[in-house]
Amino acid sequence: MKVKLKAGFIGFGRMGLTHFSILNNHPQVDVCAICDQSSTMLDVLKKYLKIRVYSDYKTMLSSEKLDFVIVSTPTDSHAEIIKAAIDQNLHIFSEKPFSLSTEEGEGIVAYLDGKPLVNQVGYVNRFNEVFMEVKGLLQAGLIGEVKCFSSEMYGATVLKDAKSNWRSKKNMGGGCMYEMASHCIDLAVYLFGKPDRVAGSIMQSIYSSDVEDLVSSTLIYNNGYNGTIHVNWSDAAYRKPTNIVKIFGAKGKIVADKHAYKVYLREAAPAHDLFEGWNTRYITDFAESVRFYVRGNEFTRQLDSFVECIKQKKPETIANFAEALKTDMVMEEITLDAERSLTYDPVPAQKEGTRSSSLLRRFLK
Amino acid sequence: MLDNVIFGDNQFFGINHMSEEKADALAERFRTLEAITDVIDIAYDSGIRAFMLNTNARAKEICDHLRRNPSRYKDLVLYPSMPYAHKYATIVAEKGIFGAINEVILTDSSAGDILGMVGKGSRILFEKDILKMMQLLVDMEMKTFRDLNVKVIFLQNIVTDLLLGFGIKDIFAGFAEYVNKKYGVEAGFNTMNLPKLVGFLHECGVEDPIVCSSINKAGYFMNPDIESYEKTVREKRFRPIAMSVLASGAVRPKDAIDYVCNDLGIKSVVFGASSRQHIMETKKLIDNCC
Repeated sequence: MKVKLKAGFIGFGRMGLTHFSILNNHPQVDVCAICDQSSTMLDVLKKYLKIRVYSDYKTMLSSEKLDFVIVSTPTDSHAEIIKAAIDQNLHIFSEKPFSLSTEEGEGIVAYLDGKPLVNQVGYVNRFNEVFMEVKGLLQAGLIGEVKCFSSEMYGATVLKDAKSNWRSKKNMGGGCMYEMASHCIDLAVYLFGKPDRVAGSIMQSIYSSDVEDLVSSTLIYNNGYNGTIHVNWSDAAYRKPTNIVKIFGAKGKIVADKHAYKVYLREAAPAHDLFEGWNTRYITDFAESVRFYVRGNEFTRQLDSFVECIKQKKPETIANFAEALKTDMVMEEITLDAERSLTYDPVPAQKEGTRSSSLLRRFLK
Repeated sequence: MLDNVIFGDNQFFGINHMSEEKADALAERFRTLEAITDVIDIAYDSGIRAFMLNTNARAKEICDHLRRNPSRYKDLVLYPSMPYAHKYATIVAEKGIFGAINEVILTDSSAGDILGMVGKGSRILFEKDILKMMQLLVDMEMKTFRDLNVKVIFLQNIVTDLLLGFGIKDIFAGFAEYVNKKYGVEAGFNTMNLPKLVGFLHECGVEDPIVCSSINKAGYFMNPDIESYEKTVREKRFRPIAMSVLASGAVRPKDAIDYVCNDLGIKSVVFGASSRQHIMETKKLIDNCC
């Protein structure tokens, strides 16, 4: 008889709920315990799920004999929790972003110290069928050498100043950079690798008083190509968060979102069944079903991949801590670059209609 | 008896699973209520009597229009689907799950009245009684459809599938029982995981459940796979309603309807369309097959 992997959940908000729903009926997983700070949540879970609940993760880690943990707490607690899980030799899936600084992220990676623990961060775009397909096409050289790209993300997440939640508090990992731009930047890192430097970065408030609502930057690579990222989580025109990636290469270009991609080719590519000129591929053409669907194929695919790595005793390579750390580094560099831009040009502080400079100074205090 | 042809509403709200560009174009086209009711009129005049309606912000306007014109839509029946998850997503992000539910329920004065009426006015009490919470949310959402002819109340798929993963039988059985007792209608369930849900509903004691799910020849949005769907449809006792039969255009209309109605013997199909020609053609195809 196959032995099921024993799982514990730390943090049970929106993402914790989603991950639980997906893993709770995984044939090779037994969810044993949940830890959360909301007593209401714990009472409900205890009443309806007959599951062991904890308000302190350390007690859970020492009381339960677990194989892995799912960490879905605010980002500022990741480092402490992940290190405690490493101490218990547990495999770890952590929500994104990985950590609040390069130093903290490097500290976690160093703490792993070569232990054979599967580690993964919830950069779910890396498991989206369209973006996986686009990466494959780039690797196959379909559009030739990449010259430039843009990675954009928009959503209507913040349409007023919300002060009550951790997502609107910078020191807890809130703000557009950590919450939304991290996905957009990670997509660039996934497709093109970590840029060698960033320039012209802007972090600007639209509605929020304590965090930025807009992030933009130029990513520069020593191999000659460059990209831009542009993220706005205060854009009411979008019904749900939307990624748009445009990639220009010597032989053509690719425009992709989560549901479809278009390829323009200067010459036909029969091996890929693509014609000269424009070609559109919808997700219906190549989507593969998942074991159990909650909110999107990619959410199931990322967790099933994590479980499979543990079962197969093989390292996770798609969205592991080291990969996620690259994204953390870029976020930190953009933040510092945005600060430098302001020091260099003090004029924006005087302009009406933008609070970017004073806000940034407050973030960076 | 479920209707053979049910008119869907995704197109009115800028939803297209295949293309964000097309979704934006739809949102623009259906900016006004008139643009929506024109299409509803075409569907109604083509003989379609059943309309599925998600409880989003536009549903209220549409229902107001239906109430203002009772003779025009004399035989129209509604299949509401609730809750509209995107409506809650932002509040959940800001206040957490229970904070959001509290806010939604407590800012709604009539739901507050219901709370008073049932004599369970304690905020703490209903926070921990998710069945009570579910009932209050249903009542709140159902106000949109007051005085209209409702046939089946659906639990929307994001919520159905999230709860299916949790495997809490009380909620599914409780929902079915509540809508039947309070509104005298049947419960329906939207899902992306049909085989699993049907089995689970049977375990919950919901016999012969109404389940609406993507069913198409392309296998699109059919989890875990098309074979499990076909087996479930053939072997399990439930009333299927097929949606996304065209797989957002991936299957030719005739083949699509032929597969669903003839190969699988499904009697009810929900489809959404925006043009007169498309509505008439699809209706005719379903009438000929189902």
